Amino acid sequence: MSISVKKACCAAMYGAALLSMAQPLHVHAEVVVIVHPSNDSSFDQGEIKKIFLGKTKSFSNGRNAILISASADDPATDEFNEKVIGRSSSQVKAYWSKILFTGKGTPPQEMNSAQEVISTVASNPDAIGYIDASAATDSVKVVAKF
Amino acid sequence: MKKLLAFSSCLSLLLSASAMAEMRISGYGSIIAGKTLGTVDDPLNPGQTRDEILTADFYDVGQYDNDITFNAESILAVQAVVDLNEKFSVTAQLVAKGVDDFEPEFDWYYVTYQASDQLTLMAGRRNIPMYYFSEFSEVGYAYPWMRPPSNLYWWQVTQFNGVHAMYSFDLGDYSNTLTFFYGNEYSDDNVEMLYYDKLYGGNARTVNEFWTDITGMNWNISGDNFDLRFVYFQNDRDRETIQQDGSIDPYTPFSQTFIGLGGSINLSQFTVLFDANFVDYDDDLGTEFPTYLVSLVYHWDDIQPYVSYSKADHERSKVPTEDLEEHYMLSFGVRYDFMPKAAFKVQYDKFVDQGDVPNGWAYHGDSRTISMGVDFVF
Repeated sequence: MSISVKKACCAAMYGAALLSMAQPLHVHAEVVVIVHPSNDSSFDQGEIKKIFLGKTKSFSNGRNAILISASADDPATDEFNEKVIGRSSSQVKAYWSKILFTGKGTPPQEMNSAQEVISTVASNPDAIGYIDASAATDSVKVVAKF
Repeated sequence: MKKLLAFSSCLSLLLSASAMAEMRISGYGSIIAGKTLGTVDDPLNPGQTRDEILTADFYDVGQYDNDITFNAESILAVQAVVDLNEKFSVTAQLVAKGVDDFEPEFDWYYVTYQASDQLTLMAGRRNIPMYYFSEFSEVGYAYPWMRPPSNLYWWQVTQFNGVHAMYSFDLGDYSNTLTFFYGNEYSDDNVEMLYYDKLYGGNARTVNEFWTDITGMNWNISGDNFDLRFVYFQNDRDRETIQQDGSIDPYTPFSQTFIGLGGSINLSQFTVLFDANFVDYDDDLGTEFPTYLVSLVYHWDDIQPYVSYSKADHERSKVPTEDLEEHYMLSFGVRYDFMPKAAFKVQYDKFVDQGDVPNGWAYHGDSRTISMGVDFVF
């Protein structure tokens, strides 16, 4: 009896592990791009993509953009990279490692949680970040949803 | 252990500097093991058999033979960027390589001045922006393969002291960066050149290699699905081969031009990487090196299988002959991003030396190599 329970447990854990491994392939949550409430620049997908690849360094209001990303484990990161940048997260990281170690730019600062992304963006007029749509609060301005 | 101490004391020096100014620390590394699979008739000593040898890193002469080694191309690098103010920063990279017994060296050090959103000026020691992958050829995490094909990335000089002016602008939907650079490299005790001297039976004490007045430009243009880079530069070349008795071999200086077009194109699940280059000497022979590489990478989530083909040739426009250096490399491999900041890679390389044997131009010899390891960033 106890053996079969163990087996079932193992199978369930194995299944859960498989599911969690497969998860990044099947995320369908929405992600929002957030800036400081005072930032009145215009944003479209092309602009956001260029900003997050470091190709455009400033907002349309003329101020330098400070890039904030969610943590690598946050599903919002895969979601954002795939929908907005059009690349997998590992491709985006490989891209930034080329830029960073040739001194041609600074990759987004990685935050530990959506709350941290929000508090950083809320307290910095030039910051831009992204979070899972359900995490957004009134302290930041949502400028796009993907 | 001493090396580790040296590395950590350099590191703590960097870190203590961070207390004084705004400082960002990051780094990259590769731990790679490999070996060649068989033996070959020694092209420079006919009738004798030797291990197949693959030179994975020409500049530092990091090689694989039949004995498995971690030293041919393992590397650890720490980068520190100190922001002096909003516009000025200082960057240094402390690099420790297996081929140097992990002796740490400051390989990169330069100041950056962000003159405006569009214009960036840099001065100091950096890689020469020759081939498409030259500037980040040691950042394994940045590309799918184990290394940019070493039968093209074969030059005895890869870095220089100089100045760069980078100007970025948009042209329609395309992002452009124009970079102009100028610098010099006095490579005393050049490892690769001394290796060749010994390979051909020489006994020189040292070889000093000089690339001066390196003057050129890059034009980088990128869109949604492509990134292209054009390069042109020229420089003067000179060399001192110093024998044991202190005498210096005669050498005729010359100039070289380097021209190339490389890039990447993304086609849904595939990426095509390519680089075509042409090096031309103004010497009496009209020495030329046409080289190219083409690689196809498939993206299957975090798994990227790839194949690459790279070909290098040596010609003489003023004294035409086919009996010179020529080789290609065919490589297969897989990159697996098993963690957010680390990738496992395994690669098989088949190097085919098509050089002329009687005249000693087949000096690499054929080889088949397996290498595997992990590239990471932090």
